Amino acid sequence: MAAIRVSLPTHLKTLSHVDGEIVVEVDGAVTQRTVIDAVESKYPMLCGTIRDHVTKKRRPFIRFYACEEDLSNEDLDAPLPEAVVSGQETYFVIGAMAGG
Amino acid sequence: MMSNESDTSLTPQEIARYSRHLIMPEVAMDGQKRLKAAKVLLIGAGGLGSPLGLYLAAAGVGKIGIVDFDVVDYSNLQRQVMHTTNDVGRKKIDSAAEHLSAINPEIEIVRHETRITSDNALGLIEPYDIVIDGTDNFPTRYLTNDACVLLGKPNIYGSIYRFEGQASVFATKGGPCYRCLFAEPPPPGAVPSCAEGGVLGILPGVIGCIQATEAIKLILGKGRPLIARLLLYDAMEMKFREVKIKRNPECPMCGDDPTIKALIDYEQFCGVRGEETGAAQVESSFETTVEDVKARLNRGDDFDILDVRNPEEWAICHIDGAKLIPLGELPMRMHELDKSRDIAVHCKGGVRSAKAVGILREAGFAKVKNVQGGILEWARAIDPSMPTY
Ligand SMILES: [Zn+2]
Repeated sequence: MAAIRVSLPTHLKTLSHVDGEIVVEVDGAVTQRTVIDAVESKYPMLCGTIRDHVTKKRRPFIRFYACEEDLSNEDLDAPLPEAVVSGQETYFVIGAMAGG
Repeated sequence: MMSNESDTSLTPQEIARYSRHLIMPEVAMDGQKRLKAAKVLLIGAGGLGSPLGLYLAAAGVGKIGIVDFDVVDYSNLQRQVMHTTNDVGRKKIDSAAEHLSAINPEIEIVRHETRITSDNALGLIEPYDIVIDGTDNFPTRYLTNDACVLLGKPNIYGSIYRFEGQASVFATKGGPCYRCLFAEPPPPGAVPSCAEGGVLGILPGVIGCIQATEAIKLILGKGRPLIARLLLYDAMEMKFREVKIKRNPECPMCGDDPTIKALIDYEQFCGVRGEETGAAQVESSFETTVEDVKARLNRGDDFDILDVRNPEEWAICHIDGAKLIPLGELPMRMHELDKSRDIAVHCKGGVRSAKAVGILREAGFAKVKNVQGGILEWARAIDPSMPTY
């Protein structure tokens, strides 16, 4: 069981009633898919906000990052960097915002 | 890219004014002349536009164009430091030009009193070297991006919400554009605006100053610009993070084989947005007015008023006797309402309450109605002493 730190964009923090980073438990392989599955199962109100309800594809106004690298278009089943698995680094979900 | 500075010179007054720049080798006389010859267009004279305008003017950017059509409102003053209390009710563009000229009368301020649109964007941007995106909505951000890509002008991007901000430099030669980062905008209503969700007043100061710094670096041709890098700022954690942005070879705008070759309809692209003050999507038989609610209260009718705003909004103003259940909590707290009773539902402007009416109707509440225009309309038409926000 790995404890993964995840950072959500502000509007999704509001939606899931959390402050700051969240931590989700992932059993088995730590991949983008298993992490997002764990996020959605812990915070069901986020279903459909990060990935499309039906296609399960990343929504085009959301991006995924870890260790400064853009993972948005990488294989969802590829293992995440060791630093994310060990909890040293955070997995980032970044969202578009338009305020000015 | 930049304007020619070779025939630019500095007067003794300007030399005195810019002396702290002139003694640094990274700027020096050459760099200051470049700043004087530079032409920068600010899209928006609001939260981001304020620090941008003030610092670029002070730094001696020779020509600053400002595009804005808005009027200064009391609710702007918490963050839009280019405008003062005395400017409330004035055009932002006039207030901005006056204050920037007061800071630096040596520079030229060009007022573009208009909304930037697909029809005028290319013409507005064309005479400038650099564009700075300080707008507050998705359609204008995509429009600014696309126009900059088409014209080959750098687009210095910044955006803010609540306690977080983002900044980057888009549309440089070979670098990514805004669409490479976010291919499509969120559907209307999915991501709240600052008007709906709020923003820390200092936040645009931080992000706007980062944008201004990038503009000056580009003009000087010095340092490492925020190209292909997205800077993320979290004021609560006081953390700056940086992530990489790759140019998307399949980007419809800046990719290898672009499919968008002219500006499009950005309102349509982003979905026409029901503003808080705008009309709500409810059947007319499910609508009521503030006048009707007031008349029923005066008659002593037996009915309920449901307020679906957030507690922070309730604390600013509310209608006496109303019950508060924030929209987000409504599905879990419906049991607190009585299906047999008449319920008038309101929010700030009528959008959230329209959603609430839909949720309640679906759950079998046959006698709920949406109060058109929300508490803003109540304050306007029924109780002008009520504070608004
Ligand atoms: Zn692009």
